Amino acid sequence: MKSVITTVVGAADSASRFPSASDMESVQGSIQRAAARLEAAEKLAGNYDQVAQEAVDAVYNQYPNGATGRQPRKCATEGKEKCKRDFVHYLRLINYCLVTGGTGPLDELAINGQKEVYKALSIDAGTYVAGFSHLRSRGCAPRDMSAQALTAYNQLLDYVINSLG
Amino acid sequence: MLDAFSRKAVSADSSGAFIGGGELASLKSFIAEGNKRLDAVNAITSNASCVVSDAVAGICCENTGLTAPNGGVYTNRKMAACLRDGEIVLRYVSYALLAGDASVLQDRCLNGLRETYAALGVPTGSASRAVAIMKAAAGALITNTNSQPKKMPVTTGDCSNIAGEAASYFDMVISAIS
Repeated sequence: MKSVITTVVGAADSASRFPSASDMESVQGSIQRAAARLEAAEKLAGNYDQVAQEAVDAVYNQYPNGATGRQPRKCATEGKEKCKRDFVHYLRLINYCLVTGGTGPLDELAINGQKEVYKALSIDAGTYVAGFSHLRSRGCAPRDMSAQALTAYNQLLDYVINSLG
Repeated sequence: MLDAFSRKAVSADSSGAFIGGGELASLKSFIAEGNKRLDAVNAITSNASCVVSDAVAGICCENTGLTAPNGGVYTNRKMAACLRDGEIVLRYVSYALLAGDASVLQDRCLNGLRETYAALGVPTGSASRAVAIMKAAAGALITNTNSQPKKMPVTTGDCSNIAGEAASYFDMVISAIS
């Protein structure tokens, strides 16, 4: 799974050489920034349910009929529950990305093939964008987490938003 | 290939859980001990050639039959192959130590090594003894307790944890080939 360390080791291995001084510097740089990432991961793990709920509320503010954009469902709660489930799924992968320090988990477990899936299910990807955009502007340092941690978290939200665009 | 961080992600994903408090604690100590890890990798890579040739010379001294006709490293060609393999093993151990996870060592080096050595007729007893010598040398280099005058002027500290981790990777090699 792609991260700074696996990239460095992979490059060293394809050249059949021991880890060089510059490889060590790369790893050192990644380790230095890791504390902020782990802080964001910890905060998100402790509060994901509320975060996902806020995203769902933002989506239904903008799209009262939900993600499919058709007539109101007979059972609106079902749609909201599925919407929240999806946001929790994305937040869990963001949590993994914060831990690994790369976008590997998001790429491998969500983004690959996501457009095709949403198209097939007639789900407007713009609804997810509405939710994530809300989260993107909602985070606040130092209320929620430190500034550096929030930067790492927002970076991944932006990554998801761009992947849905 | 995984590292200490992505290992947590993979195991959390199998149960669909978020990575929280307890799981993050071990990663935090990974970060706090990061410099020790990098110094340990540097201790191995900077002395790689010495460590490998000492280990191969060591098995030849202990078992003179190896260099005699029909011995495991009789002919320069076999001796060169032995030195090359020693360096490859040490290289993958250094990758595993840098990543904090054994997957790169297991997947890219040890997987199928026993069968390869059996097919080539490599004496596994001597091969594992060479790895054991490298393990001892690496341990001494990491804790900076080597008897050679070549010591590293690093910040003093307790590196026994990271030396133990390196030893565990060497043990994996030994159990994979013997």
